[in-house]
Amino acid sequence: MNWLQKNRVLVPIDFSEESFAALSPAREFVKDASHLYVLHVLSHLHPAEPGVMWNTLDDRDRQQHVKEALDKRLQASEYANVHIGVAIGDPSSEIIDYAKEIDADLIVIPSHGRTGLSRFFLGSVAERVIRYAHCPVVVLKKGN
Amino acid sequence: MKHYKLLNWLRKYPWLCLILLAIPSTAYAADGKPTGILGAIDAIFSYLVAALSQVLFFSIGGMPFIVLWLIIGAVFFTIRMGFINFRGFGHAISVVRGHYDNPTEEGEVTHFQALSAALSATVGLGNIAGVAIAIQLGGPGAMFWMTVAGLLGMSSKFTECTLGQKYRIVKPDGSVSGGAMHYLSRGLGELGLRPLGKVLAPLFAIFCVGGSFGGGNMFQANQSYAAVSGVIPFLQGRNWLYGIVMAVLVALVIIGGIKRIGSVTEKLVPAMCLIYILAALFIIFTNIPLIPGAVATIFREAFFPQAFAGGFIGVLVQGFRRASFSNEAGVGSAAIAHSAARTEEPVREGIVALLEPFIDTVIICNMTALVMVITGVYTDTKADGAQLTNEAFASAIGWFPVVLAIAIFLFAFSTMISWSYYGERCWEYLFGDRTTLVYKALFVFFVFVGAVVNLGAVLEFSDMMILSMAFPNILGCFLLSNKVAADLQDYMHRLQTGKMPVFK
Repeated sequence: MNWLQKNRVLVPIDFSEESFAALSPAREFVKDASHLYVLHVLSHLHPAEPGVMWNTLDDRDRQQHVKEALDKRLQASEYANVHIGVAIGDPSSEIIDYAKEIDADLIVIPSHGRTGLSRFFLGSVAERVIRYAHCPVVVLKKGN
Repeated sequence: MKHYKLLNWLRKYPWLCLILLAIPSTAYAADGKPTGILGAIDAIFSYLVAALSQVLFFSIGGMPFIVLWLIIGAVFFTIRMGFINFRGFGHAISVVRGHYDNPTEEGEVTHFQALSAALSATVGLGNIAGVAIAIQLGGPGAMFWMTVAGLLGMSSKFTECTLGQKYRIVKPDGSVSGGAMHYLSRGLGELGLRPLGKVLAPLFAIFCVGGSFGGGNMFQANQSYAAVSGVIPFLQGRNWLYGIVMAVLVALVIIGGIKRIGSVTEKLVPAMCLIYILAALFIIFTNIPLIPGAVATIFREAFFPQAFAGGFIGVLVQGFRRASFSNEAGVGSAAIAHSAARTEEPVREGIVALLEPFIDTVIICNMTALVMVITGVYTDTKADGAQLTNEAFASAIGWFPVVLAIAIFLFAFSTMISWSYYGERCWEYLFGDRTTLVYKALFVFFVFVGAVVNLGAVLEFSDMMILSMAFPNILGCFLLSNKVAADLQDYMHRLQTGKMPVFK
């Protein structure tokens, strides 16, 4: 057995192509795809969003929709049996919390290389995950 | 993991502490001019307003460029869409009544729910204070042009909301993201005008964020303070207290996520609308003999203004300006809310949207105007904005200012909440959804600012930002109008040949 072999590897997915591409390097750390955990973090909806105002779209529905969307997207691929999680809140804190919850051995996360104002305001998710996660973090650079 | 957030915030934004410390020390100097941080804010706004007005109110034949732009847009869309504002009216009502609601289609809410969500942003102080301002600055004739602007604006609203639906993005969680920034970038991209879209979409988003701080926020806070302090003497001279209370309430909803306050307000607003209309009708009916005279005055002053210095063009400009401020037709903001409707027919939601300027301007604004002209208070008072409307109603129904103050408070509050949603969507488009807390904090801060600064600066800034949105929006709608017209023709054909499934 490879000493690099991990039991639970977390891959945060934000539906960008980079984040889906992170599944393949993450796969190399585990025996099979069932050891992979993907997590999508939703932001809170604004209280004046029509669906919130009229109570036609609640957080449970949203989580269910994302789960279905991820299922559909991953079904046909070699990642059909990954574990899917959906959280709501600030991406970096939710990723850190979820990693602890599932007792992840490793987090594989792409770096979007955010620039400008949003970086100034909040820094990158990857940066904060590295700083506060309880386990090792692999950050994938663009173009790899 | 939760506790590190606050520390992080304070570490990242030490200036937040400074603002918090500076607010209580703000004071008014002897001449009534604000000093300290408010003075600085006032100065910044004056500077912004002066710079922007060079461009926006650049005069063409005595008419400010942006007003001419709105008029050309509304007339063009009315003709290009074959007078959809009149021929689509009946269909709009049957759609709103739910005849065509298909629960399996993508989207968040029904047509009726989307319309009322959009209306809660448009029905606000524009209908009460805005009309008073129009009549003060342009005379009673301004109301005629407001009505014309409302009727023509129905076509602009149709065009922009159809586009909003057509180019919306349905996210994986089922929520919808749409609006002018999306149709400007994606729609113009389809036409091979990608670089133009790349400029217009962020431009729109920047103006919309500004508009959400101005007309959608400070103007509302400012004018609702004027009305509320009229009936609660304790608040007089204590605008800072009102500002803090309002800011805390807004913060509870948009930052604290206390949905209940928001949803209660949204449910109360239609009731308040009804009370307002009933009161206006009561005054109108008890003064029936005065109606022909009032209508004659409005018509005469529209074409041959005597009482006001601006002349014919001046009256027309005031009418169109205040109308677009009130119903937002051509501004592009409502497309954000209408995109959320559950439908796969963009044209259908566009047709629903054309009811908005009708309800807002042709009905509600006219009520205010008639009361104002019948009671005649606008000629002999120094009151301005909401206070003028208040006096007009009070002269006929002595106790009404109390009800009106409650209505104004609720209108202002719901408009602020809705506009913070528009602004947040645009902020998200510019900076991503992870920095929206920064936007919300700024928004809450401006609620306070709006309550304490004087009307002049607030009104001008509000006007400018909201009118500026019309520039990228109408330009985009012009370019995309062929697509909308083709979709409309196809839709009407299917409707007339009975190929539209009816669900109710």
